[in-house]
Amino acid sequence: MGCSSSLPDRSPGRVGGLNPDNGGDSDAKNLRVKLVLLGDSGVGKSCIVLRFVRGQFDPTSKVTVGASFLSQTIALQDSTTVKFEIWDTAGQERYAALAPLYYRGAAVGVIVYDITNPDSFHKAQYWVKELQKHGSPDIVLALVGNKADLQEKREVSVQAGIEYAEKNGMFFIETSAKTADNINQLFEEIAKRLPRPSPS
Amino acid sequence: MYGTQSKRDLTLEMQSQIPILRPSIHSRRANITVKFQDLYGFTVEGNVDDANIINEVREKVREQGRVWWSLEASKGANWYLQTDVSSALKASLKFSVLVNAITLKKLIRKGIPPVLRPKVWFSLSGAAKKKSTVPDSYYNDLIIAVEGKVTPATKQIDHDLPRTFPGHPWLDTPEGHASLRRVLVGYSFRDSDVGYCQGLNYVAALLLLVMKTEEDAFWMLAVLLENVLVNDCYSSNLSGCHVEQRVFKDLLKKKCPSINAHLESLEFDVSLVATEWFLCLFSKSLPSETTLRVWDVLFYEGAKVLFNVALAIFKMKEEELLMAHHVGDVINVIQNTTHHLFDPDDLLTVAFDKFDKLGFMTSTNISKERKKQEPAVMAELDQRLRRLNSSNLEVDS
Ligand SMILES: Nc1nc2c(ncn2[C@@H]2O[C@H](COP(=O)(O)OP(=O)(O)OP(=O)(O)O)[C@@H](O)[C@H]2O)c(=O)[nH]1
Ligand SMILES: [Mg+2]
Repeated sequence: MGCSSSLPDRSPGRVGGLNPDNGGDSDAKNLRVKLVLLGDSGVGKSCIVLRFVRGQFDPTSKVTVGASFLSQTIALQDSTTVKFEIWDTAGQERYAALAPLYYRGAAVGVIVYDITNPDSFHKAQYWVKELQKHGSPDIVLALVGNKADLQEKREVSVQAGIEYAEKNGMFFIETSAKTADNINQLFEEIAKRLPRPSPS
Repeated sequence: MYGTQSKRDLTLEMQSQIPILRPSIHSRRANITVKFQDLYGFTVEGNVDDANIINEVREKVREQGRVWWSLEASKGANWYLQTDVSSALKASLKFSVLVNAITLKKLIRKGIPPVLRPKVWFSLSGAAKKKSTVPDSYYNDLIIAVEGKVTPATKQIDHDLPRTFPGHPWLDTPEGHASLRRVLVGYSFRDSDVGYCQGLNYVAALLLLVMKTEEDAFWMLAVLLENVLVNDCYSSNLSGCHVEQRVFKDLLKKKCPSINAHLESLEFDVSLVATEWFLCLFSKSLPSETTLRVWDVLFYEGAKVLFNVALAIFKMKEEELLMAHHVGDVINVIQNTTHHLFDPDDLLTVAFDKFDKLGFMTSTNISKERKKQEPAVMAELDQRLRRLNSSNLEVDS
């Protein structure tokens, strides 16, 4: 009922030019990318996606059960477009066994923690390991410290995030779904790091 | 005592608001999107057709109410409470009981009028019986005993209260949160294997809206988890939920072979959408009255109903699904469908007429299928656990 976080794709951000005749398959100019968000419950995964797809921050997001799906297309400066097909997963521990269902075949893994919550940073490290071991071999991984607007409550230093990400060859960014800080940058940076299919 | 009085007032208030269409109209592409409140106070977004359908459904609900009243008049009040076929069969079979049972099954599939729901659900689900086996003060005692205790379950519940149907005129108030909290926290102590599982927040919230009292909502939750649904549906490894997913996949293959083959070719795993259905009992996907119509049948006929409904959602959109080229398209078709199923009969007709005929969808058959899937699920969960443990060891050393 009024499930705001899983409405079908009808965002104004959808960009034309995906070739509908071949079902919008990826080609060198128009990429279609499966992205999965993982991380503890409450770190703000759903809010990040809603901010990216709808441009809104709803302080009352809904609890995710299983996972919800949204998509959003962005245009890059070199006139390529990237359509992100986003799986926003449920964070509660007991849902972890379902994760492979969502990260199987994913080109991008975004692992989110809450900078005010050290436990969530530890949890993020588990997800990194799981994806390194069992995700696609060429998966692009991003580590995201969310709720960066809550500086006064910070308990995970920027340095800790950077160091961990560097050690694991990941892209790192701190975001705020609330203020929109770095949300678009997150997805743009990911897009730049994607392996491109060679033009045929 | 637990704020039930004012909740009752709210229910009345909401019902008097029923025919009001909210005037906040804005255009989206060619369609006009209208926002309105449905029978249970949820804000719904849809086009003008949807609004009309909701009004028709309201009329049908009233009609259905008249049918129930006239049956009460002819068969006596509470006739439907004495229709337990199995006990009637054990005792010397009374013809009238059998007739009533058949009438009742048909009647329930057509919907229980909202005013009768609390009473009918409470007795037919077995909640009344469950409650009667413990002292009257059980719920109050439980709530008092657990007050102020902090566990991982209570922490998660506190995070989830404002994220359960946000914006609902009663559920999303301090009073609504407090009520939902007591039910969920109370249950987490009643069954510590389950504790609290995300998804239950939606189920309990809807139960609170339907049942007249918080205590009855609690017992409905208890009977649901302990008797109606598959075992361990919400327990710490969700094993029951995994079992249901496998049973469902098998059913889809048997009942909708072409859809299944197509989805397989797209590498679309039906669990991607069905997990949420089976854990929230459709409350997060279907409009409220449609969800409650599913629950009407669920509480009388059992968990097999969830399979009927899940199959029906796929079946209804067979043509569109066969044209989908991508996982994303499939999800969009399914979500578009579920969000706009404002007429419960559209769904339930397919669910019960199509999939009941072959006689496969009996509770006994579902139990057999579950038994078959259990070992594989256990092996899978076990393997995952071992894998995780071994990588933990690497981290520690
Ligand atoms: N201050 C602040 N609060 C945030 C931010 N992002 C999310 N929140 C809050 O954190 C709460 C949880 O956010 P969600 O997006 O629902 O969390 P989630 O990770 O999807 O949680 P699960 O669905 O349970 O796994 C929400 O109630 C938001 O109000 C942020 O950037 N800043
Ligand atoms: Mg979420």
